[in-house]
Amino acid sequence: MLAARTSAARSASRIARQFSSVVDTAGIKVAAVDNGEPTSAVTFLVKAGSRFETKPGVAHALKNFAFKSTNKRSALGTVRESELYGGVLSSSLSREHLALTAEFLRGDESFFVDTISSFLTDAKFTRHELQEYVAPVCAAESTASASNPASRALELAHIIAFRNGLGSPLFASEHSDIVVDNVKEFASSVFSKGNVAVLGTGISQEALSKLVEKTLASLPASAPASSTPTKYFGGESRVESHGGPQTVFVGFGTTGAPSAELAVLAAHLNPQSSIKWAESTSPLAAQIPATASVQAVSLPYSDASLFGLIIQGETAEDVKVAGKAAVDALKAAGSLSGDELKRAVAKAKFAAANAVEGRSGLVAALGPKVLAGSSASVQGLVSSYDKVDASAFSQATSTLLKAKPTFVAIGDIQALPYADELGL
Amino acid sequence: MFGPLGPSLAPYIRSSKTLSSYVKPFANWYANLMGYRQMGLKYDDLLVEEREDVQRALTRLTPRETYDRSFRFKRASQLSVIQQNLPKDQWTPVSEDVRYLKPHVVEVAKEDDERKVWDTIAVQRK
Repeated sequence: MLAARTSAARSASRIARQFSSVVDTAGIKVAAVDNGEPTSAVTFLVKAGSRFETKPGVAHALKNFAFKSTNKRSALGTVRESELYGGVLSSSLSREHLALTAEFLRGDESFFVDTISSFLTDAKFTRHELQEYVAPVCAAESTASASNPASRALELAHIIAFRNGLGSPLFASEHSDIVVDNVKEFASSVFSKGNVAVLGTGISQEALSKLVEKTLASLPASAPASSTPTKYFGGESRVESHGGPQTVFVGFGTTGAPSAELAVLAAHLNPQSSIKWAESTSPLAAQIPATASVQAVSLPYSDASLFGLIIQGETAEDVKVAGKAAVDALKAAGSLSGDELKRAVAKAKFAAANAVEGRSGLVAALGPKVLAGSSASVQGLVSSYDKVDASAFSQATSTLLKAKPTFVAIGDIQALPYADELGL
Repeated sequence: MFGPLGPSLAPYIRSSKTLSSYVKPFANWYANLMGYRQMGLKYDDLLVEEREDVQRALTRLTPRETYDRSFRFKRASQLSVIQQNLPKDQWTPVSEDVRYLKPHVVEVAKEDDERKVWDTIAVQRK
């Protein structure tokens, strides 16, 4: 009775957080939603992730070139003027998209849209800025990423799993040979009308469309960036590393549009408890040693996804024990049904719904859909979890496990287990 | 104030055909008389480099330009020690005597000026 009522209440409550419509403004897709926030944010989402790069690391360099000098204003001018307005400019890179974001007080949109637009239309890309500002930041970010075993394992796992395309590393190598002409060439190939989507929150659709139409008029119109369809390969790699926890990544990839089942599987396996001081009900939680940790990750991309378990521990022995437990749990997950499945679905659904509450989560979840021109509603995103049932779940899990595993070991490679020792 | 980075009449003279045809022979004669070409140097090698803006401009040269510049300096100081000029076929030809450093110095000076403007700006809100 209670359950029936709550579920009815759940489906009755409309989720208002969605882009009501996507408007094609002179070839550029513009979507905005105004929920009455005190501040506005505008994100220019460009299909310029590391997947589309022409030379390793060039997407990373382009990301750090954001808000440097353009023909309209210098890098210093951009910084000082946006500080006077009290806004925040940021750029972020994923494997598929480059996001240029400005957050600002209501009413200042004309300046901030113009700032980002001028980077797209007439950035200077000077050699001395690459040397003085961009390259040091790239090197620092690469070093930070390489010294974190978990992120290094994920980077390597992508290379092994997808080889090129999605496999190209997110960060430039620490001693990259990127020159400014590479960046210029890449920028001119990805900054085109079909390749950019503008997403606004806390701003009206008409106001944003008008501004975008005015400032991005000179952007060339060309076909969106394309890449070869992703194929999954899998394989094993072991990298010696000192300092930091012993790390093993066990992963499986699938091709095709990402499915809700993988997120449910990750929610089921994740041994992190939802309640403080309590042990999680995940099948893994009781079996991993206290000095080890396991984290299930599901990384969806437009035409493939990578599902994996990051297993870390103080010693290689811990990792071996935890890894065996994790692989056993993963293999047994296919037979999940009843309340256990419902619990996993609810957990995954909550995580997905909670992520789109925030601005960045909303843009990350719906931006690619706006760019692709498909319907961009949170409702569809969340309701896909309702369709997960026992048979679909067990089928998705068994096809996932049939593929060749991706196995990465980082740390003491003499002692860390091999893939077959974990039962893969 | 005066010197390679100071105010110059050159752009005005170059813009006028008659004026430049009068001044050019004299300018060439003077540049050859200065003697730096005979030591294999370029005019921008004479720029005073003990200044912050010129130092920053020097970091913006391409690796090739930096290498060539230090080669010219080494050769010129050796010539100065032995009190000789280069053989005539190795003198800097007029076509190679280009302002390779000045554009960078001007750029750096412009950046410094802009920073000064932003540092002392009085904001007027509309």
